Amino acid sequence: MGFFLDSFISAFELIRSLDTELLLIVVVSLKVSGFSTLFAGVFGIPLGFLISFNEFRGKRLLITCLNTMLALPTVAIALFVYAFISRRAIFGSLDLLYTQKAIIIGQTFLIFPIIATFTISAISHIDQRYRKTALTLGANQKQVAFIVLREAKYGILAAIIASFGRVISEVGISMMLGGNAKGFTRTITTAMALEYDKGEFVLAVALGMVLIIISFAINLLFHLFQGRDSK
Amino acid sequence: MILYALQKITKVFGSRRILDIDFLEIEEGKIYALLGPNGAGKTTLLDVLGFLEPLTSGEIIFKNRTVKYSENHLQKLRRNVVMVNQKPILFSTSVFKNLDFGLKIRNIPAPKRRLIIEESLDLVGLRHMIQAPAHKLSGGETQRVVLARALALSPQVVLCDEPTASIDLENQVETVNLLKTINEEKNISIILASHDRSQALSIAHHTLFIDHGSISDASYENLFSAIIHNADDGGSTCTITPGIELTLSRQQKGKKRILLDPSKIELLDDGHPHSGPNILNGEILSLSKEKDNIRLMINIGIRLTVFLSSSQYRKKRPLVGDLVSIQIQPQAARIL
Repeated sequence: MGFFLDSFISAFELIRSLDTELLLIVVVSLKVSGFSTLFAGVFGIPLGFLISFNEFRGKRLLITCLNTMLALPTVAIALFVYAFISRRAIFGSLDLLYTQKAIIIGQTFLIFPIIATFTISAISHIDQRYRKTALTLGANQKQVAFIVLREAKYGILAAIIASFGRVISEVGISMMLGGNAKGFTRTITTAMALEYDKGEFVLAVALGMVLIIISFAINLLFHLFQGRDSK
Repeated sequence: MILYALQKITKVFGSRRILDIDFLEIEEGKIYALLGPNGAGKTTLLDVLGFLEPLTSGEIIFKNRTVKYSENHLQKLRRNVVMVNQKPILFSTSVFKNLDFGLKIRNIPAPKRRLIIEESLDLVGLRHMIQAPAHKLSGGETQRVVLARALALSPQVVLCDEPTASIDLENQVETVNLLKTINEEKNISIILASHDRSQALSIAHHTLFIDHGSISDASYENLFSAIIHNADDGGSTCTITPGIELTLSRQQKGKKRILLDPSKIELLDDGHPHSGPNILNGEILSLSKEKDNIRLMINIGIRLTVFLSSSQYRKKRPLVGDLVSIQIQPQAARIL
């Protein structure tokens, strides 16, 4: 018990003194998670919008596929991306493996279905009267789409926040595609796993505390947006 | 001038024929009341007139031009027509931005937009709420802002789907007065779907009855579901509710909808209870004047409307609360 207490006290001290190694790990984590959320949003929001806004053959099947992708384990996604970017693979010449870019690609695949399905859900919950009202006020299809998107904005923001929360806490993709290289691809979760293996708990506990603070902040934002959406 | 001409139009959803109108003309600058029971096709007709729903077949001529169902053409036409829904909705932004939306997409310059918005809100008495968040308005205020949003666009037609259905009496009167004002002062045509016959008739220049998707010459008042059995004498007996049975001259059978023409129901003279075939007793609940007729609402176990001509009324002088007998002639009943 004393051992854990000592670790906690030392971890607090690491955070308070803004330890360089700790800061670097947090910055790498925030950077890769931020970019993967951005890219997943750029692809996921329009896809979710197009699926929910249009009626076409195979729509239900497509939604089912996206829902299935929500349950994919991170290691499976990492293996899938590895098959394309490893040295002898089709994109091997790009030297992406064990870089931050590789983590971003893997994490984008991980959360892209989350953003798309949340967007579909947010837009399908928007009252049909908004669409009809915009049409009767003389809007064209693009302007109608803008109105629907604006009404669904809190739901979509919630999707982005939830996705960021998912990637900041994942370990499989970061480990398998990033390689946990110190100062380059070492994220909060991979560093914690490494420190645990080494039996060094101080940095692991400090990073765990930072992760909890980030997760708490994300959930607070999520709660705020969900609350505004239901008003 | 004829605003709309509908020719042999149908609208089918799945296997259901929602609209089936052979011919209908709507004049410019008038108020039309569209009356009919639930599911009669009123909202679908308004959607068709608002160019929001394509037809299954037939043709609409709007201001002497045939309507083409291409998105570009429809969008241009929609800019002449604004629809106000039964449960109106405002965008989740300020009152100002709600009114601004339609003006902005018409490329009206910002200073002019502001003037139009202020004028429109003045007309509905809500200028002081110009910056208020739309979702904080009451039902009545929302309805008035929706009307202001429609008026700001200076449309040629306002289509109203039960505009007073979800608001209190005070706001109902205000909304009806507003519709009258915009028709009289701005010469905007109004087509108003309603359940409330007396309210609709109080402002409408013309009344259209719609039932099962078709324009009907009969009022939908006194429309009941009934079970009809063949009788031995070649006629049939119709049960509307237990205790209310009518003898019909024609043989019919099964569950049908029956319409009792209010102008063909006779109020018997002497004030004493009568008995006999097709004679029913009840109490007068209300009296009101409706154009050339006096409208009596009589409770005979169901609420039945009876029309008296002014001369009949002056002769009989019935009062609210009087117990009266009525006779429904077989020719007053029409099976639909």
